[in-house]
Amino acid sequence: MPTPSLDALPKGHQLPPFAFELSPDWVREYVVAVEDEAISALDGGLVPPMAVAALGVRALLDGAKLPPGAIHLGQEMSFLRPVRVGERLSISARIVSRGERQGWVLTGIELDVQGDDHGPVMKGRATLTMPAGREGES
Amino acid sequence: MTLDVGAELKPVVVELTQDKIDRYALAGGDGNPLHTDPEFAAKTQFGGTVAHGMLVLAYLSEMMTAAFGRAWLSGGRLKVRFKAPARPGDTVSAVGHIVRAEGGRAVCAVECRNQRDEVLVSGEAEVAT
Repeated sequence: MPTPSLDALPKGHQLPPFAFELSPDWVREYVVAVEDEAISALDGGLVPPMAVAALGVRALLDGAKLPPGAIHLGQEMSFLRPVRVGERLSISARIVSRGERQGWVLTGIELDVQGDDHGPVMKGRATLTMPAGREGES
Repeated sequence: MTLDVGAELKPVVVELTQDKIDRYALAGGDGNPLHTDPEFAAKTQFGGTVAHGMLVLAYLSEMMTAAFGRAWLSGGRLKVRFKAPARPGDTVSAVGHIVRAEGGRAVCAVECRNQRDEVLVSGEAEVAT
């Protein structure tokens, strides 16, 4: 089944669940990429909270195509507990709002991230706008 | 750090390059050509590649981690709007100061600005104290 385009997804659409293991290599790669010197000053083995948020975006991109011209307008997130290297995270994302005006779609996406213990570790909401395609209406 | 209203957080300053954006694209799994393909990006409304919004937010988060430690990782909240793109060649400064301290939480006004003092991201970060 082809990956749907984000602009066509209706309010209430649940994106496929996404799981990711925070391997030491991946966390190292992320920390180097964002040049985070503060996280290493804390207890060893902690993951920068924005790494978890970045995985939320990856979950979104895994479940829907981002149309060319999409713009990230806003982001909210709550970090609920520290996350450690080696944890396996489960991420769910769903479309919580969708509006269309003058050929542009405004979409709100809610993200929930659970840890190894199945408890919440992060909640977030992203707002994106993108040119409307021709497929699908909400 | 002091939790007085008005107290400034120690800024995080980063020289953004295309290499850094490419590295983030690999780590974050976001290879949108708007970020990584100068030829493609030149034809968009941005006129060139721009950094991932989540990369710019990572600089804000680093500033909050440095200021508040584990409290940021366990109970931190961030709410921001993206105002302008960060581009290769920009010097991005994540800055913030405490605007309220109440009920055991500190609320900080946070921003990322470029070397021309243009606001790239602005919003609020909240953390338990």
